[in-house]
Amino acid sequence: MSLMGTSSPALKEKNSKAEMKRQSVLLIIAALFVIYGIVFYYLPLFGWIMAFQNYKIKDGIFGSEFVGLKWFKFLFDDDTFLRVIRNTLCMGVINLVATTVTAIGFAILLNEVKNTFGKKLVQTISYLPHFLSWIVVTGIVHDALSLNGVVNELFVNLHIFKEPISFFSHKEYFWGIVALSHVWKETGWNAIIYLATITSIDPALYEAAAMDGAGRWQKIKHITLPGLRSTIIILLIMNIGNVINAGFEVQYLLGNGLIKPVSETIDIYVLNYGVGKMNYSLGTAGGVFKTFVSLTLIVIFNFIAKKTGDERLF
Amino acid sequence: MKSKKIFALTMACMMGLGAFAGCAKKKDEILNWKFFAAMFGSEINDGNEIQELIAKDTGIRVKESWLTGQTSSEAIGSIVASGDLPEFIDGGDGSEDLYKAGYLVAWDDYLAKPEFANLKEMYTDKEWEMFKHDGHIYWANVFNNSYKGKPVSHGYNDEAFWIQVRVLEWDNYPIIETLDEYFDLLERYYKENQTNEDGTKIIPYTALCEDWRYFCIENAPEFLDGYPNDGSVIVNLDNPDAPKIVDYNTTPTAKRYFAKLNEVYNKGLMDPEFAIQTYDEYMAKLSTGAVLGMCDQWWDFAGTVNENFKANKLDEKGYNYVPLGPTIDKGMTNRWYIGATDTLNSASGIAVTTSCKDPDKAFKFLNRMLDQDMHNLRFWGIEGVDYLKKDSGEFYRTQEMRDKWADANYTKSHCCMYSYFPQYGGMSRDGINTMQPGDSNDEFFAGMAEPLKKCFERYGYTAYNQFLRSTDGVVGIWYPMYQFSNNLKTDTEAGVAWTKMGETKHTWLPQIVVAKDFESEWNKYMEAYAACQPEVFLAYMQETLDNLIKS
Amino acid sequence: MNSKTKKKVQMSKWDWAFVICNTTFMVLFCIITLYPVLNTLALSFNDGLDAVKGGIHLIPRKFSTDSYTTVFNIQGIRQGAIVTVARTVLGTLLALAANALLSFVVSRKKFLFRSSLSLFWVITMYASGGMIPGLMLLKKLGLTNSFWVYIVPGLVSAFNVLVLRTYMEGLPDSYEESAQLDGAGYLKIFTRIISPLCKPVYATVALFVAVGHWNSWFDAMLYNRTKTEYTTLQYELQKLLSSVMQQSGTASSDGKTASSSKVTPITVRSAATIATMLPIICLYPFLQRYFVTGLTIGGVKE
Repeated sequence: MSLMGTSSPALKEKNSKAEMKRQSVLLIIAALFVIYGIVFYYLPLFGWIMAFQNYKIKDGIFGSEFVGLKWFKFLFDDDTFLRVIRNTLCMGVINLVATTVTAIGFAILLNEVKNTFGKKLVQTISYLPHFLSWIVVTGIVHDALSLNGVVNELFVNLHIFKEPISFFSHKEYFWGIVALSHVWKETGWNAIIYLATITSIDPALYEAAAMDGAGRWQKIKHITLPGLRSTIIILLIMNIGNVINAGFEVQYLLGNGLIKPVSETIDIYVLNYGVGKMNYSLGTAGGVFKTFVSLTLIVIFNFIAKKTGDERLF
Repeated sequence: MKSKKIFALTMACMMGLGAFAGCAKKKDEILNWKFFAAMFGSEINDGNEIQELIAKDTGIRVKESWLTGQTSSEAIGSIVASGDLPEFIDGGDGSEDLYKAGYLVAWDDYLAKPEFANLKEMYTDKEWEMFKHDGHIYWANVFNNSYKGKPVSHGYNDEAFWIQVRVLEWDNYPIIETLDEYFDLLERYYKENQTNEDGTKIIPYTALCEDWRYFCIENAPEFLDGYPNDGSVIVNLDNPDAPKIVDYNTTPTAKRYFAKLNEVYNKGLMDPEFAIQTYDEYMAKLSTGAVLGMCDQWWDFAGTVNENFKANKLDEKGYNYVPLGPTIDKGMTNRWYIGATDTLNSASGIAVTTSCKDPDKAFKFLNRMLDQDMHNLRFWGIEGVDYLKKDSGEFYRTQEMRDKWADANYTKSHCCMYSYFPQYGGMSRDGINTMQPGDSNDEFFAGMAEPLKKCFERYGYTAYNQFLRSTDGVVGIWYPMYQFSNNLKTDTEAGVAWTKMGETKHTWLPQIVVAKDFESEWNKYMEAYAACQPEVFLAYMQETLDNLIKS
Repeated sequence: MNSKTKKKVQMSKWDWAFVICNTTFMVLFCIITLYPVLNTLALSFNDGLDAVKGGIHLIPRKFSTDSYTTVFNIQGIRQGAIVTVARTVLGTLLALAANALLSFVVSRKKFLFRSSLSLFWVITMYASGGMIPGLMLLKKLGLTNSFWVYIVPGLVSAFNVLVLRTYMEGLPDSYEESAQLDGAGYLKIFTRIISPLCKPVYATVALFVAVGHWNSWFDAMLYNRTKTEYTTLQYELQKLLSSVMQQSGTASSDGKTASSSKVTPITVRSAATIATMLPIICLYPFLQRYFVTGLTIGGVKE
């Protein structure tokens, strides 16, 4: 025992040296990728310094005056910024919940379709919107919801609306519109994984349940949903960090002056101040805050997942 | 098999890229330079005929690119951040930021040399003084500048409450003096005419609120009170020795104006989508002839709209707009039109950037643009092709030529105005022709549809600006004050106040117009507005004004 | 056979109700998904002036292909199409190669720095320097005003690596071990053993990347603003949709002298929309079986 104990470090070192040599190809490749990562992902992080400066293009990062937390104070004293955080988080959560629930629901219902051709056809059609750019999708949403768009036409003809509604003039509709746009675009695509998970559930479970006289709903509740649990959790964790990223293109393309109080998101605020008003320091401070929130969210959720013994990201 | 295919595909791509690189290489000594304007514009085609002529002449081919998909400030902001500059630029409101970042080449040394006499001639010494930052000139505004300071214009380029001539005709060409009369006329007309011939629903009034173009709803109070377009503030001259800065957003007139819009909206006379329309949708709406009236500036809508009217023969139905200059009460003088003077806006203009490797050549190019033959080529076109010359030396166009110039496909491949480069209005150096064809008497009335012509005749006017019935009068040296506020950024307190005021107005103005209870919404708006500390901004403007008068 | 018929007989009233409801739902779902696209298609084949009157749903009222002629006559669209195809093909191949190689490295169970390298890339998923520092960096690297700005900065994406890695880790170790016994080096294992097994997940990632390339416009606007030869199709579409109908001489002393273009009719915009989405719509059904497998196995652990 003791003999082995003393020789072990030396042996390990020798081993690892040999291993290093054996893995030299892998190491070189890894090194190349690390260099790439440093240049394109980590170097820009030094730009965060600007958030603590009164950054002037002329003076550069090294010449600009440091102002401490001035810009962060400015942000948290600004009612607009607080509203923007609210908008971002609310829309992020609504979108995440709406797309997840619809994807699961769609997957379950599609799984109940027994006609193979029909199933295949519906599924193929369901992916289509995922491949369209947001420019196209927002254009479609905008047209469909305009005063003489198809939605108003339909609902007025069905006498559900008395007169056409100008959806983009009312604050209370906007979050819903954004959520529905996401649902329209991603339901089919997101359902892929859920559907695959459902099909991988052991059919014996369903047969046993049927023997016990379980109905369709009970089978879904007691077999399908628990079977999806770990998939749902891992996907939620993966997407939770993006909750705060959930707002740029759609809101930028669909927003307007009247509903700005509910449509403006952190990204738009940062773009507006950081680039539009050329206050690069303020813009960067907003960006730093955003990264901070998203990392916090992930760590918290990862921790919760770990505690409850479920899947986790890292 | 598959990998071979992929390989072939890659090779094809590489070759495609090679072709790009090949394109970029110069085939001749003509330099390919770039220009960017923080404005909307339409690109002209590569190989444009007049552009090639100018390139042969000057050795420079300037590829113009315009604002797309971003606001102007975002575009300039990202250009400043990246330092990726074209050789020539017009930064609009961002001009000062380009200068602050050290990206612009000073003009002074060039202006002092005789070979740049044309550029020097653009402005008087006193006017050039207005362009100076730290004692140097970095850009020159090319608009609203007539040769030798003598404007001739049948047009009216600025703001007004516009109205379709058919509405005036319907009411037997009345004189509209006040805002109430204006809306009353729209209402009466609309009562009897709800749809156009083609079945489109008539929209009596609309107001654009998008981005910086929200001036269409925002700045009318200054005009309604009888002041000229100082833009961001009123300069009150009750005491001529001590002009006073007044905020037009909080005046009783402002409240009455928005109350009127609110009333009009609730009566259903206002476009229900006014607050959410994009500029594009607004233009499309106007172009169908469905909108009876709106407040806007001529340059913001007229070119496209009139062209669409013409193309679809809608001008024959009396859809063309003429400007009206109402005031809030009867019997006031109005200053919508401040007379035939050039308005100097020193806040923006054409600039040469530090990315330009040969500034000397760049300024020579700018200088050359102002030579009469070059100016004619840019704006009139090629003699014999685009215009003809009478024995008297007067230029004229045939109807066929006019039609061609109205055809976007033709202009894209043929005309090259370099429209943001140095140019003049007014009479050209020969004393016979106008610098710009649109200012020529014949060109102005030719191609006018019958209803519009009749409207001019019935009122006895020969120019658009006469419709405004404005009092001529001199404006102070500070005019327009907006040149001192448009460049304000959030790095100063006045700038923060200015920015927040703008944001507050952007959010609130549409809301008070659509409000069910105007009074309470207005009070809420005033509260939000006061929270922006407008007094800080106003104090800054007062100080700027005082300094200007002193110097 | 027997059991099947038996089952059918056993279907209760409720089951029937469910099947009917479910089928109706699926049909509705397909209509909601397809209608906007078909409507755009119908508009694109309609006469421009006629379309303004509205009321066109699935069939053009006044058939015309003028809109497509107009779209394909726009210089930018033609140039944008070439650039977009080039960047999609080249960008996808290079990104796939890079992501696959990196994933291969981090999925080697014996690799010494496996977890630290993974962490290094996971961090990039969430921490970013923001738009402005990124812009400055690309400028410093000389990538702005060039075609390569579309390819190089987004070459490696942590998300794709995650998907690829998960898939590769799911492959049995025995392949690698036996190859090593035969004396194959890592590169050979990667190209000869692992890659052929990864076809579905490669197809998935290639599709991710290709769709991204095909649909991107922001980079064209931000990095190649004045380099019109590097414009992309979606950027040109964005230009058309936000319509550059303002004339270039907006503020000249008389608007009449300025060159101008007409209001872009809705039909032209529809045609441009269809033209930009057609290739990818035609392609994806054929890739379906790959990305479904790839996404399923790569996206979820286990």
